[in-house]
Amino acid sequence: MRGALRRSAAVLFAAILAGCGNDPYPLEDSLEKILYQPFDDPPKTLDPQVAYSVVDHQVIGYVYDTLLGYHYLKRPFTLIPGMAETVPEAIGLSDGRVAYRFRLRPDLWFHEDPAFEKFSPGTRTRTVEASDVAFSLLRVADPAVVSPVIEALGKISGLVDFGKRLDERRRADPEFAALRIDEQYRRAGPVDGVRVLGPLELEIVLDDAYPQILYWFAMPFTSPVPWEAIAAYDGVDGRESFAEHPVGSGPFVLSRYDKRSRIVLERNDRWYGVLHPEWKAPAATYPSEGAPGDAEAGLLDPDYVGRPLPFLSRIEFRREKEPIPTFTKFLQGYYDASGVVKESFDRVIQKGELSPEMRGLGITLAKSVEPAISYLGFNMDDAIVGASGGERSEKLRQAMSLAIDSKEFLRLFANGRGLPAQTPIPPGIFGYDAGYQNPFRQPDLDLAKKLLAEAGWADGIDPTTGRPLRLTFDVGDTGAAAMLQFGFYTSRWRRIGLDVEIAATSYNQFQDKVRRGAYQIFTWGWVADYPDPENFLFLLWTPMSRTKSGGPNTANFSNPRYDALFEQMKAMTDTPERLAIIHEMRSILEQERPWIENFYPERYALYHGWVRNEKPAGLSIPTAKYLDIDAELRALRRAEWNVPITWPAWALAAILVVVIVPGVVTFLRERQ
Amino acid sequence: MEAHVVSNLIVAALVFGAAGLAVAIRRNRLWSEALRELARRRPIALAVVALFVVVALLESVRWRSEPEGPEAGDTVSRFEARSVVDRMFPHDFREKSYSAPLAEVEFYGGAPLAHPRSHLLGTDILGRDVLHQTLKGARVALLVGGLTSLIVIPLALFFGVTAGYFGRRIDDAFFLVSSTLMAIPGLLLLIAIIMALGRGPVQVCVALGITSWVGFARVARGESLKIRELDYVQAARALGVSEPRIIVRHVIPNLMHLVIITFVLLFSGLVLSEATLSWLGIGIDGSWGQMIDQARDELSRDPIVWWNLVAASSALFSLVLAVNLVGDAARDVLDPRTMKEHR
Repeated sequence: MRGALRRSAAVLFAAILAGCGNDPYPLEDSLEKILYQPFDDPPKTLDPQVAYSVVDHQVIGYVYDTLLGYHYLKRPFTLIPGMAETVPEAIGLSDGRVAYRFRLRPDLWFHEDPAFEKFSPGTRTRTVEASDVAFSLLRVADPAVVSPVIEALGKISGLVDFGKRLDERRRADPEFAALRIDEQYRRAGPVDGVRVLGPLELEIVLDDAYPQILYWFAMPFTSPVPWEAIAAYDGVDGRESFAEHPVGSGPFVLSRYDKRSRIVLERNDRWYGVLHPEWKAPAATYPSEGAPGDAEAGLLDPDYVGRPLPFLSRIEFRREKEPIPTFTKFLQGYYDASGVVKESFDRVIQKGELSPEMRGLGITLAKSVEPAISYLGFNMDDAIVGASGGERSEKLRQAMSLAIDSKEFLRLFANGRGLPAQTPIPPGIFGYDAGYQNPFRQPDLDLAKKLLAEAGWADGIDPTTGRPLRLTFDVGDTGAAAMLQFGFYTSRWRRIGLDVEIAATSYNQFQDKVRRGAYQIFTWGWVADYPDPENFLFLLWTPMSRTKSGGPNTANFSNPRYDALFEQMKAMTDTPERLAIIHEMRSILEQERPWIENFYPERYALYHGWVRNEKPAGLSIPTAKYLDIDAELRALRRAEWNVPITWPAWALAAILVVVIVPGVVTFLRERQ
Repeated sequence: MEAHVVSNLIVAALVFGAAGLAVAIRRNRLWSEALRELARRRPIALAVVALFVVVALLESVRWRSEPEGPEAGDTVSRFEARSVVDRMFPHDFREKSYSAPLAEVEFYGGAPLAHPRSHLLGTDILGRDVLHQTLKGARVALLVGGLTSLIVIPLALFFGVTAGYFGRRIDDAFFLVSSTLMAIPGLLLLIAIIMALGRGPVQVCVALGITSWVGFARVARGESLKIRELDYVQAARALGVSEPRIIVRHVIPNLMHLVIITFVLLFSGLVLSEATLSWLGIGIDGSWGQMIDQARDELSRDPIVWWNLVAASSALFSLVLAVNLVGDAARDVLDPRTMKEHR
C-alpha cells in the first residue's frame, strides 16, 4: 500500500515537472527544420481557382505549384520559369491575336492521394500534363466554381463562352449535369484559346495583346489540378470537399488541416526540385544573383547559392487569435517570424531601428514597402469637385491635395510605417520613380490657399452662400479609431478654409452610396494582384468607372488621352517607350488630381537569428521554400529564454502552509 | 433655423422652465422641504451635478462672432457658432499630436509645443486639448440623459397609468407589448434601432428611449392599480368626476415622487448606455464614451498615453456617481415610507 502511494506521488511529480515548461511543441520536433507561423482567421477555401485572400494563399502557395514564379531576390519583380521550362514569349498570330506556348517539365508529379485510386485502381498519383493546366483554366470559366479571376482570364479566346455553354447545357440537361466533371468539360469544349498540343505542351491564345497574362500563371489560379480530385471530393453525401482537401504538385503536401488549431505542410519528396536537382530549375534552386544590397544583407550566402530547394522539412501554422500573446510567443522563440504589433511598437522599434533589447535577442528587422497604395479620391461626376466644374474644380482638387500631409498622417497613425505616395504606382513595380516629386503632393498650405483663391473660393468662402465651401467626405467606417483618421484629413482641409463634413455610415450603406454615385470625397486602397503598372493605372481607366460599370475606378475619372495611353501601355513590355507613356499618364494625373495619392504601406517583419535567407516580398507569394532554419540554435535559445520562474509557486506553497498548518493544529487540538 | 439658434432657444426654455419650477417648489411646502433636506444630506453630490449642468448649458449657448486678431484660426471657425466653453480656451488651442498634461514638448519626437505648459489634461492624437473635449462631453452626457428621460417618462407614465387605472384589455395589451420588449436583449434592440434610424444624437436618444421605458411603466402601472382603489379616488368617482380628470388630479400627482426617483436613476443608466454604444462605434460624436473608445489603443502604447482615458472616465464616473447619490437621497426623502423616519 505504502509503495503504491509513493509510486503514484512520483508519477504526479513528474507530470507537474513536465508541465512546468511552456514549449507548445513536442520534444522530438525541436531539432527539425520546421518553420512555425501563426495564423489568425483560417483559410476560407483551399481551392486554387477560387482562393483570393492572403491567408488562403499562405497554404495554397506551397501545395499548388505554378507554371511561372517570381525571382526571390530581384526587384522590380521578375518572372522566372516554374513548372514550365521557360517563360514563353508572345507570338503574334495572323488574325491579330496573340499566343503563348508553355512547355511543361517532364516528370512532374501530383501529390499522392486516394482520389487517383478511385479512377485507376492501384495508382496513388500520376504525372502532371498540359491537359491538367487546360482543365484548371476551364475550371476558372466554370460558373459553378465561381472563380474571382474570370474577368482577367476571360481574355483567353472563347473561355467566357465556354462557361456560358457549360451553364446552359447543365440547366437544359440534368443527365449532362450528372456526368463526371472532365467529361462535362470535354463535351462543352473545345475552347479555341486553350490548346493542348502534346502531353507537355499547351498553347494559350488571347483575343488582344495582354502581356500581364503571364503574371496570372505565377498565381495559383492557373495551377494544374487533377480532375480525379475534383470528381472525388465533391462535398456531397459526406464526401470531403475539394476546397478542404487540396491535391496539388507543389513543394509541400498538406498533411494536417485543422482550421481551428493547426495546419501542417510536409516536404514533398516527389517535387521536381527534390527529384531532379541536376536540372537547376530556377524556381527550385537558390538564386545566385539578387537586387542591390542583397549580398550585403547576407542573402547571397555561398552556403546556399545554387542549392536545391526546399530547405525546410515542415511548415507548421498554429492558430492564434490575439496579437499580444502571439508576439510574446515570438519573443519566447516559438514563432520564427512576426510583424510588429502596434501595442509594443515603441518597445521594438526606436528611431526607425530595432531597439537594443531586440537586437540583444538576435532578432533582425526587414522593412519592405508593399506594392499597395492608400489614396483619397474625388468623385469626378460630382458638380463641385468633379470634372464638370472645369478648371475651377481642378484647382480645388489641387489645393486639397496640397493640404494633406501624408508624412504626418503616417507618423500619427502608422508609427511612421509607410512612404508618402507621389503617383499611383508603388515601389517595386515598373514605372515607379523614387526621384519623382509630385508638385501637388508636397504639403504647402499657402500655395493651396492661393489656388483656392484663383478658383474663386478665396479663403474657402463660397461666393454663392458667403460661407466656407461645404463638402462631404463619405466613409464606410464609424469606429472611433477610423474617425480619428478621417478627422485628420478634414482638419487639414479646414486649415485652408474648407468645411468638409464626415458622412460616416456602415460599410454597406457606404457601398450603396457609391453605387448611386452619391459621394464627393472618399478614401480607398488597392493591393497589387501582380507587379505591373497596368494593375494600378487601370484604377483610373474610363471603362472601369464605378458608377457606370461597377468597376474599381471609384473616382469615375475619365480622360480620353489617359485612356488612349493606357490602351497603348497595357499591351507593352517593360521598355523605355512604355516608361515614357507612363510618365505622360502620370503628368495627366498630376494635373487633374482625381486622387490624392496618400501613402504606400510599409511592412516591418521581425525574424529570429536562426532564420536564414529571409527577404519580405510584399506580394502574396510563397517564399518559405527559400528559408532555412538553424534548429540547434533555436533549441538553445528557446531553452535559454524560457527558464521557468518558480518562486511564485514556492511562495504560494509557503503561504498555503502558513494558513493551513494552524488550522490543522487547531482542529486536532479541539478533537482531543 | 440654424442648429445653434435652436440650441440657444432650448437653453432659454430650460432656464425659464427651471425658474418656473423653482418658484413652484418654493410655494409648495412638501417639495421645498424635500429639496432642502436633499441639499442637507448630499451637498457635494448636488454641487457636482449642478456644475455639470452649468457646463453643459454653457456649452449649449452658442453664437457667431469674429475671433479677435488675424491669426485667430481658420475661415471655417469664423463662421461657426462657438459656445461659451469654446470661448474659455484660446483660439487654435491645439498641438500637432499627443502631449502629456502640462508638458512643454510633444509626446513623440519631443518638438516644442505651440502652447507649452497650458494643456491641463494634455492633448489627444490630433492635438486637441483634452480638458476642452471633456467639458464639451458634459453637454452630450446631459443631452442623452435629459432628452431620453423626456421621451421615456411621459411614454411610461401614459402607458403605465392607463394600463393600471383601466385594467382589463388595456392592461393585457400593455403587458403583451412590454413583455415582448423585455424579452428582446436590450443591446441588440438598440443596435438594430440605431442601424434603422441612422447615427445622430436624436436617433440615439430615441433608441435608448424605446428600449428603456418598460421598467418604469410597470412600476407606474402597479402604483396606479393601488391608487385607483383608494378611498379618495373612489369618492371622486362616486361624485361623478370624469376619468381623465381623476387620473390627472389624483393618480399622477401621487406618482410624482416615483417620477423624480426614476428620472435620476434612469439618467445615470442612460449616460452609461451611451458609453457602451460608443464602444460599439454607434454612439454620439464628442461623448465621453467615444473618448474612452478612442483611448482603447492608447493604453497599450508603450509609454502609455493615459490622460484621455482618465479624463473621460473620471468625468463619466463623477457624473454618474453624483447623480446616483442624489437619486438615492431623493428616494429616501420623497418616498412616503422613509420620509417620516428622517424627520
